Amino acid sequence: MVPGWRSCVDSLDSVFRENSPALELRGLTKHYDDGTVALEDFDLEIPAGAFFGLLGPNGAGKTTLISAVCNLLRVTSGDIRVFGEPHDSMAARSWVGLAEQDINLDRFLTVHETLVYHGGYFGVSEPDERAEELIEAFGLESKRDTRAPRLSGGQRRRLLLARALMHRPRLVILDEPTAGVDFELRQELWRYIRQLHAEGTTILLTTHYLEEAEELCDEIALIRDGHLIARDSSLALREHFGVERLQDVYVKAMAS
Amino acid sequence: MTPLVWLCRRETLRVSKLWTQTVLAPVISSILFILVFGLSLGGRINHVSGVEYDVFIVPGLITMGMVQAAYANNASSIFQARFDRYINDVLSAPMPTWQMNAGYVIGGVFRALLIGGSLLVLAWLLVDVPVANPFALIAAIGLGLLLFASLGVVVGIYAESWDFTTFINNIVILPLVFVGGVFYSVEVLPSPWEELSHFNPVFYLVNAVRFGFLGESDVSIWLSLGVTAALAVPVFLWAQHLFASGKRLKP
Repeated sequence: MVPGWRSCVDSLDSVFRENSPALELRGLTKHYDDGTVALEDFDLEIPAGAFFGLLGPNGAGKTTLISAVCNLLRVTSGDIRVFGEPHDSMAARSWVGLAEQDINLDRFLTVHETLVYHGGYFGVSEPDERAEELIEAFGLESKRDTRAPRLSGGQRRRLLLARALMHRPRLVILDEPTAGVDFELRQELWRYIRQLHAEGTTILLTTHYLEEAEELCDEIALIRDGHLIARDSSLALREHFGVERLQDVYVKAMAS
Repeated sequence: MTPLVWLCRRETLRVSKLWTQTVLAPVISSILFILVFGLSLGGRINHVSGVEYDVFIVPGLITMGMVQAAYANNASSIFQARFDRYINDVLSAPMPTWQMNAGYVIGGVFRALLIGGSLLVLAWLLVDVPVANPFALIAAIGLGLLLFASLGVVVGIYAESWDFTTFINNIVILPLVFVGGVFYSVEVLPSPWEELSHFNPVFYLVNAVRFGFLGESDVSIWLSLGVTAALAVPVFLWAQHLFASGKRLKP
């Protein structure tokens, strides 16, 4: 190929990727070994820059969906793309940051080491500087050299979020980040997440707190038994279901 | 630095943070073997294969300490990471699966080398152990550690409980090591025990390491290295397959 053409194709390719959705799921299906069908032919597209909420009861398939995107489970079939790249490519992996629902911190590492090693795994060029920045941003200075098991519940939750942000991901996935946290910490986490979104990061949030989804998300998807039930803004969902509150949307959608 | 280097650093950091359990304890137990068996029985047993008994047992004891450490380190590190689910940090990272496998294997090898090095230094203080064939010694230890570090990875991935990782050590590895000629030359065994010993893969590893140290062995060094390599490579590839396929690591 002529060199000029090559650079032209590369530029078009990069423009195409810039305009790609943050997340694209096509026909995603997951059957667990015990026969449980967690997701069935699931399609979803989340635009870049969105603050997207995923709601559904326990067992609806939310965590399965997230685990599939983050390469933490073996997908039965379907296609997953992150900003246009296959989800298991090295580029796509480096663009996703995940704060899991359960605390899964390395018991042998301190707060600082947790962040630095995560940065190392994800190819951060100066992990020490970035770790110090996040330790300060999340108010963990006094616990910098404390091992994860000795942190309080709130501190662990903050560290989980800091770890997810360590490699400056373009898509941050938060799986029930405020489950079981007190009101003050919830407000604090909301502030961090809002700031992150304002800086252009795409957020995918799962939560059981409907007011949290309504307060934070541009768009909400309701899922049940591995299927997408409805998807729109909170206002549009309320209009569509003819109710005043998101809670009523949820109840109607899940009963339908 | 590549993600592989960071994973190696994490694994070696764990070993150094827990050094009393990961290094000191196995070194003490192995050195006790040298003291109890070598120095006490050494006076009663003159020579084995032309070598003083307290010198004869050192290569086997170093092998035993190292292979158990390489296995136990990886089995426990990976099982713990799976149990607490912080292995997800590695599995979701932009890190090729061969680097994940290599990172854990190197962690076990690092711990084994710390133990082997410490034992050798302490053994030199007690008895005069030569290094007759350094290249054979390096090849034997390299292949032996690859085998047992990879086995630790596989068991750590398959294990459903802590008991399972220790079960494999106590029921499989330790008996094979003990009857693999650590404390005796199999040539002194009556038939059919001598012949049966040749079906024990650890017998070849112990003899390869002994050849590296003492320049003598019950079997050819090439056969010993060949058998060890023939086991090490498939087990390493099995561990690699588990990372590449996600089997047992991912639901």
